[in-house]
Amino acid sequence: MLKEDFVIQSTIRRILVRSNVDYSRLTFGTVRGIVYLQGTFEVSRFYVDGSAESMKDFLMKTLVSLEKKIRSVPGVIDVNFQFLNWKKEKGQWIPKKEIEE
Amino acid sequence: MDSEERDRGIRKKGIPVNEQIMREIEKEIQIHPNYADLQNQFGLLLAVKGDPDGAESHFLEALHLNPKYRETLLNLGYLYIEMKRWKDAEDIFLSEVRKHPKDGFLRHVLGILYFQTQRQKQAAFHLQKAVQYHPYCREYYQKIGVWKKGAIHFDQNTEKVLKRIRLNYHYAHFHNFVGLYLAKRGKSTQAVREFRKAARLKPDESLFHANLGTVYYYQGSYQKAVDEYEQSLKMDPHYGMGYANLSYIYGLTRRIPEALRYMEKAVRLNPGYADLRYNLALLYSDRKRQREAIFELKKALRINPNYLFARINLGVLYEDQKKWKEAGREYRKILRITPEDEYVRQRLERIS
Repeated sequence: MLKEDFVIQSTIRRILVRSNVDYSRLTFGTVRGIVYLQGTFEVSRFYVDGSAESMKDFLMKTLVSLEKKIRSVPGVIDVNFQFLNWKKEKGQWIPKKEIEE
Repeated sequence: MDSEERDRGIRKKGIPVNEQIMREIEKEIQIHPNYADLQNQFGLLLAVKGDPDGAESHFLEALHLNPKYRETLLNLGYLYIEMKRWKDAEDIFLSEVRKHPKDGFLRHVLGILYFQTQRQKQAAFHLQKAVQYHPYCREYYQKIGVWKKGAIHFDQNTEKVLKRIRLNYHYAHFHNFVGLYLAKRGKSTQAVREFRKAARLKPDESLFHANLGTVYYYQGSYQKAVDEYEQSLKMDPHYGMGYANLSYIYGLTRRIPEALRYMEKAVRLNPGYADLRYNLALLYSDRKRQREAIFELKKALRINPNYLFARINLGVLYEDQKKWKEAGREYRKILRITPEDEYVRQRLERIS
């Protein structure tokens, strides 16, 4: 065991509750240092004008920041995002709708 | 505020009602008129603002939408006391006391209600019960001279005090509500201030201390969070999530024996909550107590068969025990739900 999963899990919980992410729509788990996040990724508030492009940009930035925070938790060796509405492809976050189109 | 409302004593000086919150809830009600929660919240805001009739109509609407909504029923009961509609209030609190005979605070309210309506014998009966069931009532009555030498005691001085007692229920819950509103918007310092006001007005309410604990936890003030959760649990030892939150804090501060002890308690109090069992399993697994971890994960999966992470952890623990067949079975189940999970696929390939 590299680090204790419960310690990682408690840290992730705190990261989520302190972030702008609507964590009520997410579930998460830790398996031997690998963090899983599932559900629908939404933010609690948008700090941008209401245009679709700026909102998409804001969501992408929030995702990048969230991933960075989780990866920096001691003991985390990987993060597995299984969001219903966003997917990471070739290092880029893309809304799933766009992939389907 | 008209003179009639002033007479009813509804409005209290110095309590600003946040107009922004009112506007937001009003808008929400227009979108979701059938949400009892919103009706209850709006009723509370109106009660504090000094509109008892408006408050009553929203509380009644909330109860119409959800007749078992206890919080609203109590809000309505306290509103009737403020409006001096004694009979309506008495009906509500008596029916609640029948359901919860050991609720000391309900006894306290009934005692005050009877005292203020000149029914001293009934007042003494309920105040005595309040002392029996609620340690804070005993302390408080001792302080004001109502509890002396093991009995309820009325004299000219205590009568004056009892007549002046204001129950503060709405104001306390109002500050708690504003605190939650601010906390959700990341304004934790202001939220703490509101929760503190709530706790000062109603010092025996475990919920206010639990909310304070949560805000301190968000802020990273772990010791303060622990103190508030512990205070909350002293008032309500059956509040399972309080133990769980303490466990998470001890997890963050790497005090694993305490984290384990509190999570075990949380699971004992909430045996049907899969997430708590999952966290307990992680604690056991970290301490190499695999058998207990497997037991908890199986329980979590029985509660929620789609609990993906619990299944992955279970597979990994079976691998630790060299139970390849069982591990493979769990991994295959996962891949049926999430075929793109490379980590699980690799694990399965390795043991196949």
